Amino acid sequence: MPKTETETPKMKPRPIVRLGIFLISHSLLVSVVCCTAGVLALLLLPLLAKSTYISENALMPGSASSMISNRDISEANRLASDLSGLNFEPQDAAALESRGILTKYMSDLGAEVSYHKFHHKPNQFHPLHFFSSPDSTSSVKNFSCSAHGVNTVGIIRAPRGDGKEAIVLVTPYKFGKSGAAETLSLSIAYTVFSLLSRVTWLAKDIIWFVADSQYGEYAPVEAWLRDYHTPVFTGLGTLNADTCVKIDDLYVFEQKSIAQRKISDGFRRAGTMAAALILKVADRNELLEDTLNIYAEASNGQMPNLDLINIVNYLAVHRQGLRVKVEKVLTLLDSRWLEILGEMFELLGKVARSLNPGWKFGISTADYIEGSATLASSLYYQALGIPTGPHGAFRDFQVDAITLEISPKVFPHNKARHNEFLLRGGRLVEGVIRSINNLLEKFHQSFFLYMLTSPSKFVSVGVYMIAFALLVAPLPLVAASLYADANQLDLGVKNTKSTPTATASDELDITFRSWKWLSAAKEVFLIHVWGAAVSLLPYFICQIPNCSPTSSSVIWVFLSMLSLLILYLIVGSPSTHVSISQPEEKGEWAILKSATISAVFIGLLVMSVVNFAAAEIGALLLVPMCLMAQPLKLDMKAGKLRSFLRIICNVVLGFVAFPPAAFFVVKTIFEGFDSINMGDFWNWMESLWAWNSATYIYIGMVHLPCWVLCLHILLHSC
Amino acid sequence: MSIFLFLFLHNAIAYSSHSSSADTTMHTNNWAVLVCTSRFWFNYRHMANTLSLYRTVKRLGIPDERIILMLADDMACNARNKYPAQVFNNENHRLNLYGDNVEVDYRGYEVTVENFLRVLTGRHETAVPRSKRLLSDEGSHILLYMTGHGGDEFLKFQDSEELQSHDLADAVKQMKEKRRFKELLIMVDTCQAATLFNQLHSPGVLAIGSSMKGENSYSHHLDSDVGVSVVDRFTFYTLAFFERLNMYDNASLSSLFTSYDPNTLMSTAYYRTDLYRRHLDEVPVTNFFGSVMETIHTDSAYRAVPRKMSKRAGINMAVEKSVQHDDRRTLIDSNVQDPTSHMKTKDQNCPFTRTMNTFFDKVERIEHPDSLPKHRWFEWSSPMAIVVGSKSRVQTPAPTFITVHGDPGFSSMVGTVRVPCLVSVGRLGLAGIDVRESIGF
Repeated sequence: MPKTETETPKMKPRPIVRLGIFLISHSLLVSVVCCTAGVLALLLLPLLAKSTYISENALMPGSASSMISNRDISEANRLASDLSGLNFEPQDAAALESRGILTKYMSDLGAEVSYHKFHHKPNQFHPLHFFSSPDSTSSVKNFSCSAHGVNTVGIIRAPRGDGKEAIVLVTPYKFGKSGAAETLSLSIAYTVFSLLSRVTWLAKDIIWFVADSQYGEYAPVEAWLRDYHTPVFTGLGTLNADTCVKIDDLYVFEQKSIAQRKISDGFRRAGTMAAALILKVADRNELLEDTLNIYAEASNGQMPNLDLINIVNYLAVHRQGLRVKVEKVLTLLDSRWLEILGEMFELLGKVARSLNPGWKFGISTADYIEGSATLASSLYYQALGIPTGPHGAFRDFQVDAITLEISPKVFPHNKARHNEFLLRGGRLVEGVIRSINNLLEKFHQSFFLYMLTSPSKFVSVGVYMIAFALLVAPLPLVAASLYADANQLDLGVKNTKSTPTATASDELDITFRSWKWLSAAKEVFLIHVWGAAVSLLPYFICQIPNCSPTSSSVIWVFLSMLSLLILYLIVGSPSTHVSISQPEEKGEWAILKSATISAVFIGLLVMSVVNFAAAEIGALLLVPMCLMAQPLKLDMKAGKLRSFLRIICNVVLGFVAFPPAAFFVVKTIFEGFDSINMGDFWNWMESLWAWNSATYIYIGMVHLPCWVLCLHILLHSC
Repeated sequence: MSIFLFLFLHNAIAYSSHSSSADTTMHTNNWAVLVCTSRFWFNYRHMANTLSLYRTVKRLGIPDERIILMLADDMACNARNKYPAQVFNNENHRLNLYGDNVEVDYRGYEVTVENFLRVLTGRHETAVPRSKRLLSDEGSHILLYMTGHGGDEFLKFQDSEELQSHDLADAVKQMKEKRRFKELLIMVDTCQAATLFNQLHSPGVLAIGSSMKGENSYSHHLDSDVGVSVVDRFTFYTLAFFERLNMYDNASLSSLFTSYDPNTLMSTAYYRTDLYRRHLDEVPVTNFFGSVMETIHTDSAYRAVPRKMSKRAGINMAVEKSVQHDDRRTLIDSNVQDPTSHMKTKDQNCPFTRTMNTFFDKVERIEHPDSLPKHRWFEWSSPMAIVVGSKSRVQTPAPTFITVHGDPGFSSMVGTVRVPCLVSVGRLGLAGIDVRESIGF
């Protein structure tokens, strides 16, 4: 026996275990260091951004000279004038007529033209449709005959291609009531289409999709893509014919007017889509020069392959001399603290360069501010999980797509200027299409997980992961340390000799305490169930007719609190009982905090897989709050300066981390105090669920419950 | 026996007087193996490189039968090609490289490392047609041109496998051992091409690469009409050099090698000559890039004809039989049966060369200096020139040339006697009888 006693202290645990124990015992220091480093790493990202490069050899953007001729442009102008001449007629007839004209022009080029009818249904909250693939069954049912649109699809078959792949060009167009900008985008697309109908080098089919944008730009694209990818063998046309006779009459009339042409009623398809470009001309004028805005964010923070953005950026900047912009948070541009930070980093870079000329990580203050504003916008739109344009519909089918929005410097009324604008836009689109045409497989070479800090700079997943990893790293450590402290577990760091031999009652106590976490876990679980219930509430609130956003959000908050109260009344008693029976210094609330932190950790990790940006922003809010949380009562009792500071921190963090509060704080910062309206939050949340954003689920089932739990810890009676 | 001795004497003296090489075999024919190893449209230039070189060596006299052309992809029929069924190596589009007379031996996915090594070493499956084989002999000069994407000691094939420098060296060594070449010029246009030659150590091999280790080989220019780069720099300047030449020019290899300017090439052309015995100044480029052969003119060609011819008829039959299996070992074995068999016993390794050397030593003492044959350049326009004789008319003063395109079993009738034609002059030489001297002009 004495032998074993002497053996045991000699048995050293493995180094990794010792390291773990060391970190856990110093969890406070570790968490402070990690959190600071995490925030700092996020602020450093604009510095760490790399320049984009074309990763796929096959693309060869700009290697071929443009072939667009004046003939294409004059044809496009003719189309535009034919279309704009119709705008004064009654709208329905004008829509029909203009569609007919467009069809005529398309089929004159030798393209296969077909119509695609779709029925617009407003986005609704479907609790069961999160993450489910878009399906056709829901769309066929419950449509109203009044809300329908007709898309026009023209397909040019590649003369020597295998017909297995296609490139899609989308122009949203309101038939019959279009503005000059829309007509201009149609003209650009027609210029390219006209050229592509003549060329011999096509390896992929070209689909020109003129989306009927009277119900928004996203809906027609989404409907068409769904039909494109779900072959309906019974025929959608016959199904519609039963219910919407009037539409079909119109449709038949339309067909007869151009009867001699080959326009098929059936759904025409080309091959798999290699990429899609959504072409728009902005209605506003730019101050300096012709500008190209690139929108890329699709649902749940998915991005198209970086190569697609690269070729567009390369061709626009180096071939067509356009200014390329991506979205940025404009208010950040003149924020003082960012400027100070930028100056600091610039100085740091200079110092580093003076030490070693090889170190080149400093960027100028202006670049830093620009980069941060772009990065913030990139992070926000990815976190939101709402597509920033019709390209989002393509991403749902794993097709890389971006929206190109060209805004002219002066709106081209002058003929020569107009033609030059057409030429530039047309050449850009032609170059991009020719480059994609060279592609052998899908885009796969470059990054899918990245954030842009400028059109030609990006932060890849490997770099931005660091900030998030640093933020969440202390969570398991603190959870373990709290658990150990609460159970008075000996981690082998403290002196072992001091522990006296355990009596029978102590053993019972230890067994009891070691199972104490179950009640905490139960509480955490119940709160999460409550969170799920709260996120389902809007489904019922939506059913209330004539409810304004403001009253909806009030109802929502009221119902949530009511349900929380009911939950406490039903199952809350056992936990209070435990807390009374164990009047320890750091007992019950520590266990609860430990369980909460574990839940936050798991929730954030899962979310980071689904939508990284959302998890990153969530971690910024949740992690400090979770780590700081400590019963206010304890701090009150202590009455020291440190405790006082902690109280303030806790209150501020507890306020900021509350989702509606966070929303309004951010809104106040960026838009000023005047624009605050209770209904905004409801609208914002509505947009989240309407677009099936995972961020909604995250807020409802991770963020909100964790906030409630932290609040519970703060208000704990000890 | 004395006749044999005499025949060898002529051969050996003729050769040694003209070559510093210890290899006493005569240059018999020229082969070219041209390989483009990369697929995909954006590698258009590699196919254009290879086709340009194909055109050049054909123009300089290597016939299609002696060119093994391996193209890993078909750019001409690629849907992205603006000019269907045409391939250009210059943006002026004057010269279509993919005209009517292009015979591609290995195309598409046939271009693998395995097939490449099989071609070099001659280890084919029995079903592989002769047109796809490198039927060279120990007197052959072979040009091996390769282009594609490479790196440090490797060359990528088909985007899926790679040929490493030791694979190449091993194949060359096997070729040497199997006496499949006399001289071999390896020309490689890839990045870090020089590294591919690191492991070579077979004699008679000359190597030139487009770039040194750590250097890239660049394309020469972009055809903005087709939308791709159409030729690589190294190949472009090689072609530019050859465009000035015709097959009668005697430009030396050193003039080709020194024509590469690192500034225009944007890489340093590297050539390895340590395995090659002759001075590059003396070696005309047509030694590899054309099919110009050294031939021997003798005033009295047929002194030994009667007995030789009678012997050869018998050997011919043996050769014809063995050739059907296309196995050179069998060929040598069949020779062993004829009167030369005693040579075999002298030296197991390389009986032919060794015995020739001993003959040469003996003969040198006897021979009169004025009986040395005179030389002159002769261009072999046909892939195979065969002297046909017959038992009855052995004294024919002017032998007939017959061009045989293809099958070794092919026979032709001259006069009244049916004589089987032989595949190549080299084979005859191997069989112990040198026909070359019986060719009259």
